[in-house]
Amino acid sequence: MKNDEKPKENAVHAAIDRLALGPIWRKFFARRVPKARWYYGDGATLLLLLGILIITGFALGLMYSASPDTAYASVVNITHHQLMGWFVRGMHYWSAGMMVIIVLYHLFRHILLGGYLPPREGTWVIGVLMFFLIIINSYIGYTLRWDERSVYAIRVALNIFHRVPWIGDELVYFVQGGWTQGSPTLSRLYAVHVIFVPILLLGLASYHLYLVVFHGVTTIPERLNPPETAEEQKELYDRLKHHEDEGETFFPYTMVESQIFAFVIFCVVLGLTLALGPRELMPEANFTETSFPSEEWWFHWYSAWVAYLPPWLTTWFYLGFPLLLFLFLILVPFVDHGANRGLRRRPLAVGMIVITVLGLLTLTGLRLESEWTAWPTKELVPLPVQAQLGPDAQRGHQLFTEYSCISCHALGGNGGDVGPDLTSLKVRLSADELRDFIRQPPKHVAMPAYGERLSSEELNALVDFVLVAQTFPQKY
Amino acid sequence: MDRRKLLTLTVAGTGCAIAGAVGVPVLINMMAPAFAESDIEDWRPVGPLTDFPVGAMQNREVVISDQKEHHKLSRRSLYVWRRSDQEFVVYSRACSDLGCPIVWDQGSEWFFCPCHGGIFDKNGERRAGPPQRGLWKYSNRIQNGVLEINVRSVPPMA
Repeated sequence: MKNDEKPKENAVHAAIDRLALGPIWRKFFARRVPKARWYYGDGATLLLLLGILIITGFALGLMYSASPDTAYASVVNITHHQLMGWFVRGMHYWSAGMMVIIVLYHLFRHILLGGYLPPREGTWVIGVLMFFLIIINSYIGYTLRWDERSVYAIRVALNIFHRVPWIGDELVYFVQGGWTQGSPTLSRLYAVHVIFVPILLLGLASYHLYLVVFHGVTTIPERLNPPETAEEQKELYDRLKHHEDEGETFFPYTMVESQIFAFVIFCVVLGLTLALGPRELMPEANFTETSFPSEEWWFHWYSAWVAYLPPWLTTWFYLGFPLLLFLFLILVPFVDHGANRGLRRRPLAVGMIVITVLGLLTLTGLRLESEWTAWPTKELVPLPVQAQLGPDAQRGHQLFTEYSCISCHALGGNGGDVGPDLTSLKVRLSADELRDFIRQPPKHVAMPAYGERLSSEELNALVDFVLVAQTFPQKY
Repeated sequence: MDRRKLLTLTVAGTGCAIAGAVGVPVLINMMAPAFAESDIEDWRPVGPLTDFPVGAMQNREVVISDQKEHHKLSRRSLYVWRRSDQEFVVYSRACSDLGCPIVWDQGSEWFFCPCHGGIFDKNGERRAGPPQRGLWKYSNRIQNGVLEINVRSVPPMA
C-alpha cells in the first residue's frame, strides 16, 4: 500500500475543505492583531449574553403562552413546576439586566476612547442601532410576564406615545392593537420580543463583528500617536499587527483576554440566578387592585429622573430624551473630528461619561428611596420614648394621622417625604401662623386646605401637637 | 441604452416590483389597528344611584368590555364622586402622567400616585408632581336610576 495515509485525517481534512473552514480560520482566528487589554472583553461578553438570552429564550418559548388568558399561568408553570424552569428564567432575567449594564459599559468605553473615529464610523452606527434594540427588548421582556408590573409598564410606554403630536391616539391604537389592552397587545409585544428584535440583533451583530475584524479596534499606539485620517490609521494598524512585540495572533492570545472577561460576567449572572432566582411575580395583570408598579432595576434611574424634573419639562422629556439621545449617538462620529483617542486626550468625553455614570448611580439610589411618593396610612406615627403629650396634643396626634398629614410630613424620619419633616423645620411658625397655614396654605404650596374640614377645637389640638412635635429629636 | 444598462434596470426594476408588491400590503396590514374607529360610544353601568351617597368618593369596579380577548383586563376599577344629587364625576385610575394607578386618600381628600409623586385634588386638578394635566374623566349619564359611563370617552391607554 503506497497511499498509506490515515483515513481519520482524510475525513477531517475533507470536512474542513467541503465546509470551507480554512478561510474562516485564517481570516478570523489566526489573523494578526495589535495587542489587546483585558478590558476589551466587553464586546465578547455581549455576544455571550446574547447567546445565553437566545438559548434560554428558546426554552422559554417552548412553554410560554402569548395570550392574556394563559400567559401568567404559563410563566408560573415554568417557574415553579417545570424542571429547571426557575433556572432558565433566572438566567434569562439576569442576562438581560447584565446586558444592559455591559452595553452601557461598551458604549461609554468607546465614547471615552473615541472608538467611533475614522475608519470606524460604520461600526459605531450599527452599534448604536443595537443599543436601542437591546434597551427596547429589555423593556418588552418584563411585559410578557403579564403580571401587574407588565400592564403598567405597557401603560407607561403608551402614555409616552400618546404625547406624540397629531398622531398620539393612533399611535396608541397601533401599539396596543386595539382600544384597550388585550390579546393583540400581548401578541405584538411577544412578536417584537422574540422575532423582530432578535433577528435584527443577530444580523446587526454579525455585521458589527465583520466590521470589527475589518477595521480592527482602537489600539494603545493609536492613542499615543493619533492618526488624522482613516488612511493613516490603516497604515499604523497594519504596521502594528505584523510587529514582533506590538502584534499577536487573535487565537488564543487576544481571545483568552476576552474569554476571561466574559467568564467573570457569566459567573456573576450564574451567581445571581442561583442566589436570587428569577424575578418574583407580582399578582396577575389587572386594572382593579391597588398596586405599586415598578420598572425593572435597570430603568430605576429614568424613573427617578422623571420624578425630579421640573413638571413643565416632563412632556418634552418623554419624547425629547430618546430622540435626542438617538440623534446625539448617531451623529457623534460626524461631529467629533478630533483625532485624539484615549482617555487622557479627551477631557470632554471623560467629563461627560463621569457625570453620566454618577448621575445614573445617584438616580438609581434615589429611586430606591422614592421619597416623592405620598401614601395613605392608618398607622399612628410613633412618638419618641420620652414624649409627653397633654390631652390636646394627644387628640392632635390622632388628627395628624386621620387627616393624612403623615402621608407627606414625617416626624423624626417616620412618614412621607413630600412635605418637610416637622422635626427638622428650618422656619418655625407661631401657633397663629400654623393655624392659618393649615386652614389655607399659601398658593405655591402643594398642601390641602383644611379650613372647611376641621373644627376650631380640632385645629387647635392639631396645632398643639405640631408645636410639641417640632421639639422632638430629628431622628428617633 | 446599452445592453448592460438595460440589464441593470431589469435587476433593479424586478427587485423593486417584488419589494413593493409584498412590502406595501404588509405595511398596510401592520398599520391596520391605527385606523380603528375612535369616535365610538360604549355606555356601561356603574351602579344604581342609591349606591352613591351625595358628596362621597367611591372606588368601584366596572366591566368595560365583553370581548373575551380582554380577559381579566375587562374589569377596571375607577373612582366615582357624587358631587351633588344629579351630578357625578367619574375618574379613571390612570395617573395623567404615565398611567400608574392612583389611590384616593380620605384624610387629605387627595389622590396619590405611587410612581413619581403625582398628586391630584378632589376635582381632579393636578396639585403636585410631574403630571401636566388633571385626571382623565369618563363622561357619564343617568339612565333609569343607573349611573352609566362611556368607557371610550378617555384616551385609549387610560
